[in-house]
Amino acid sequence: MPETIDTSSAAGGPPLLEMRGIRKSFSGTEVLHGVDLTLNRGEVVALLGENGAGKSTLMKILNGDYARDAGEILLEGRPLELRSPRDAHRAGIQVIYQELNDVPDVSVAENVFLGSLPRKSGLLKPLVDWPETHRRAGEVLARLDAQVSPRQSMRTLRVGQRQLVEIAKALSSRARVLVLDEPTAALTPREVERLFETIASLRRQGVGMIYISHRLDEIERVAQRIIVLRDGSVAGVRSAAEVQRHDIVRMMVGHEVADSSATDRARTARGADQEVALEVENLGCRGEFAGVSFSLRAGETLGLFGLLGAGHMEVPKAIFGAEPVDAGEIRVKGHAVSIRSPRQARRHGIGLVPEDRKVDGLVLGMSVADNLAMAHWKGVSSAGVIRSGVQLRRAVEWVNRLGIRLKGSVRQAVGTLSGGNQQKVVLARWLEAGVRVLLLNEPTRGVDVGARADIYTVLDGLRAKGLALLVCSSDLEEILEVCDRVLVFARGRMIGEFDRASATRISLLAAAAGGSI
Amino acid sequence: MNSTAPPLASPSLDPGPPRRARLVWRDELGLLVVYLILCGFMAIRSPYFFSPHNFKNILVAVSTIGILSVGTTMVIVTGGIDLSIGSVLALTGVLVAYFSHHMPIPAAVSLALLIGAAAGAFNGLMITRVGINPLIATLGSLSIHRGLAFDFSGGLTQSVSGDGFAFLGNATLFGVPFQVLVTVLLFLVAAWVMGWTVFGRSVYAIGGNAQASRLAGLPVRRLQMIVYTLCGLGAAVGAMFQVSHLGVADPKATNEIELSVIAAVILGGTSLSGGKGTLSGTLLGVLIMGTLNNGLTLLDVSSYNQDVARGAVLLLAVAIDQLRLRWQAR
Repeated sequence: MPETIDTSSAAGGPPLLEMRGIRKSFSGTEVLHGVDLTLNRGEVVALLGENGAGKSTLMKILNGDYARDAGEILLEGRPLELRSPRDAHRAGIQVIYQELNDVPDVSVAENVFLGSLPRKSGLLKPLVDWPETHRRAGEVLARLDAQVSPRQSMRTLRVGQRQLVEIAKALSSRARVLVLDEPTAALTPREVERLFETIASLRRQGVGMIYISHRLDEIERVAQRIIVLRDGSVAGVRSAAEVQRHDIVRMMVGHEVADSSATDRARTARGADQEVALEVENLGCRGEFAGVSFSLRAGETLGLFGLLGAGHMEVPKAIFGAEPVDAGEIRVKGHAVSIRSPRQARRHGIGLVPEDRKVDGLVLGMSVADNLAMAHWKGVSSAGVIRSGVQLRRAVEWVNRLGIRLKGSVRQAVGTLSGGNQQKVVLARWLEAGVRVLLLNEPTRGVDVGARADIYTVLDGLRAKGLALLVCSSDLEEILEVCDRVLVFARGRMIGEFDRASATRISLLAAAAGGSI
Repeated sequence: MNSTAPPLASPSLDPGPPRRARLVWRDELGLLVVYLILCGFMAIRSPYFFSPHNFKNILVAVSTIGILSVGTTMVIVTGGIDLSIGSVLALTGVLVAYFSHHMPIPAAVSLALLIGAAAGAFNGLMITRVGINPLIATLGSLSIHRGLAFDFSGGLTQSVSGDGFAFLGNATLFGVPFQVLVTVLLFLVAAWVMGWTVFGRSVYAIGGNAQASRLAGLPVRRLQMIVYTLCGLGAAVGAMFQVSHLGVADPKATNEIELSVIAAVILGGTSLSGGKGTLSGTLLGVLIMGTLNNGLTLLDVSSYNQDVARGAVLLLAVAIDQLRLRWQAR
């Protein structure tokens, strides 16, 4: 694919930044297959791609977080060795991640100059020059129109303000290459405008920027060129002025699999005649999502899809009582219920398979049998005393039924199992507890292909037995594979509903990306 | 029960040998060896060491630490800590002496036990409802209860009234001191509770991963409350035996006993990060600490140097805990 524009580098000299043939593997799987990226002085390049396309890996290599396996990085024609983020900062490369890395309990000014506080001169060199620190921090913040005092404690700031401080930090270090990862996700419209003005002024100063975003309208406004990554390779480079939206989506999804709709699988939407198991009306969770309404029937699988940060991942947690709900109503089998803790959710027959099983799902040091019984000790005990024989028998039963591969016995620590088998243990726990509604967040993240197919088979079986399933995922393939209906989320709102006939890779992705702003 | 999932082909598996149990046993085998070496060393250095009389002394001396270490083991398994047990022991001891002058002994003892449990529940409240770090919460309690003990006693040792009370700390059954029997019984009951009841397994679960336990529907805060309450109750039980054995209650008593107790529990293989630990391990830890104290006294080591030795053992215990974690991580 030809590069349609090549602005300032034509004026002479090498481009500001060049990444050539970058390759990276994690535990034997190559995730970047020789990616090229050029950035000129005063240029904004938008980096686009589905979740998992390799954007963040590429940027982590640029920031010195990961070492590249092959390829080279040139800054103004000179090769760079980036062994740590410190090396990158020294070279003038600043990456502002979406997950902010600030120190909450010190002042804004200290965060702006983190690691390079202005010092007094002469003999007083070891001392921090506080007046100078506050003055210069104030200057940078004023340029961003941030309504933030340099002396304020970082903890008192909103997320959007923290983002601005992070940008101020990059400005204060006189970065020449700036990477902005979803910078507007938490900003108010006014802050977004100021950010765009700042980007324009940085361009005039010759700073090159890589702008990662899913919001196509923003990209059309700020970027000069667009680079699309797909499955660890560059799928296309386009001039922002000429490219069409559907062209971008097509590049992100890939031509060869375009429009492989789910309808070709012989499976009709079931559950239409079944009773409603779970109803949610106007559910809201401050800062995450609002106005979410849907109903889920027994024997139905409903999908929630959205790009990273769209708010859909919080919906199951809120229904389950793990996140505070501040608006709306939840009805189980037609009765309004109040669920303020996972314990109450379980009593109403609702289970949650969390996205991070190691942190939220399992007690890794405990046995498979104990992890299986945890949500329903009653089933394997009488009068509070565990009947070990019953517990082990039931555990073995689940192991056989779900095909959980053990290295030893059900008494082995669950932490020794592979990701897929761990996930099956979390699933089996809720089946053992007899739930009728199962909420699943990213059910197959970090799970190998074989175990993934197993899990899908299990989910299909559960659906056939009349369980109501809510599958929340950022993985398109997964949504298309298992769901009867799909709700698409963007910016914390439901913005579209698709059934099996209308849900395709392109329709879902276009809805999720185009629905922003 | 809920045969909701379709069977997937897989060979039938039997529960197999208890792998975890074997690992735990291996940990304790090491401790047992340490203990035997310690005994051997003491026996060579002191002719009095290997007498039945001396062993009875050791057992009586460690029974207080032993009783306290039962509740402390549970608290540490949840990932918490309780520094206030020594102060609760002193306070409930002074109180039972005071009550004994005003009411029948059973009532006095019951009231003191209740106050001990209440002190533990207070720690639990501070930790689970207010959200204070267990170290800080129980550090505050340590100071409060010790201060109250001095306040009630005016700083003086308190005599106990009534005859029935002396039985607790001085009676023997088949030649074995009553308080040693009670300590052993407490260990047996606690080991059973931790290993074979829903409560016990849940305590291990919340210590291993509180967040996952909450999301599995376990009542994390309620379990923590119960454990801290039991720990306070345990301190009061220890106080009853100690006051009965000595015949007086001393507000200065058991200063810094929490260090010996925690050292014994950690030495016994309970991990400070929670989720791991057994009462059999704690029992061995307690015996090692007690035998060390006894041996140092027999060897005429000055009390200052005994402090040094105890501190060194505490550090050694924590260092072993850390090394074990690192070794397991590999």
